[in-house]
Amino acid sequence: MLFYSFFKSLVGKDVVVELKNDLSICGTLHSVDQYLNIKLTDISVTDPEKYPHMNCFIRGSVVRYVQLPADEVDTQLLQDAARKEALQQKQ
Amino acid sequence: MSFLKSFPPPGPAEGLLRQQPDTEAVLNGKGLGTGTLYIAESRLSWLDGSGLGFSLEYPTISLHALSRDRSDCLGEHLYVMVNAKFEESKEPVADEEEEDSDDDVEPITEFRFVPSDKSALEAMFTAMCECQALHPDPEDEDSDDYDGEEYDVEAHDGMEVDTTPTVAGQFEDADVDH
Repeated sequence: MLFYSFFKSLVGKDVVVELKNDLSICGTLHSVDQYLNIKLTDISVTDPEKYPHMNCFIRGSVVRYVQLPADEVDTQLLQDAARKEALQQKQ
Repeated sequence: MSFLKSFPPPGPAEGLLRQQPDTEAVLNGKGLGTGTLYIAESRLSWLDGSGLGFSLEYPTISLHALSRDRSDCLGEHLYVMVNAKFEESKEPVADEEEEDSDDDVEPITEFRFVPSDKSALEAMFTAMCECQALHPDPEDEDSDDYDGEEYDVEAHDGMEVDTTPTVAGQFEDADVDH
């Protein structure tokens, strides 16, 4: 849930989603759901031979990384929150 | 196309959300002809005029997208990337003869569905989004505890809510320090 909330706070920002099949897609984060399925708009594929699309829905389970703008993320806060959530999960 | 097979079109029992007739299917750049696309909750299916077609399972669909690139020779269409291999040739392909040797690389198959009615694309995309959300990956160990319920971390911040069963009198002999 933590990362669901985290990604919700990044809606409207430009991100690059790297998939497990090595495809990277750049776009604006439109929405995310509880399974971390991602919807992007205004997308372009960073791999040149693929076609550009406008809207896409990416299945959460195929995402390897989401590259974020560094100034949009407080990594210390995120680390603390993730640690706290991990502890709560163990209880 | 050896992978095309005959099956009855999906109906209400499969949770059919939308069917789009007069839709061309293209597999990895090769046209399969014109048929009907069925977007059902159980699977995505396409059948041509002779009743031959194929189905795609949502867990294998890595992503789907609307292509609005009008300079594309296909025009606007629905793009679907599948994490599976589809054999196009009529001869069965022996594994030993594969020159790609992509054992380590995940297979990628690209489908494009080109409806004659371009105004339907938005609804087709949305229907697929809804169906994808119904098939989350079951192997995600992080979500084992949640089973789909909202858990607001911020709401519990600072509150030590004891939700786990404890032994009665567990803390009775603890030092009263506060």
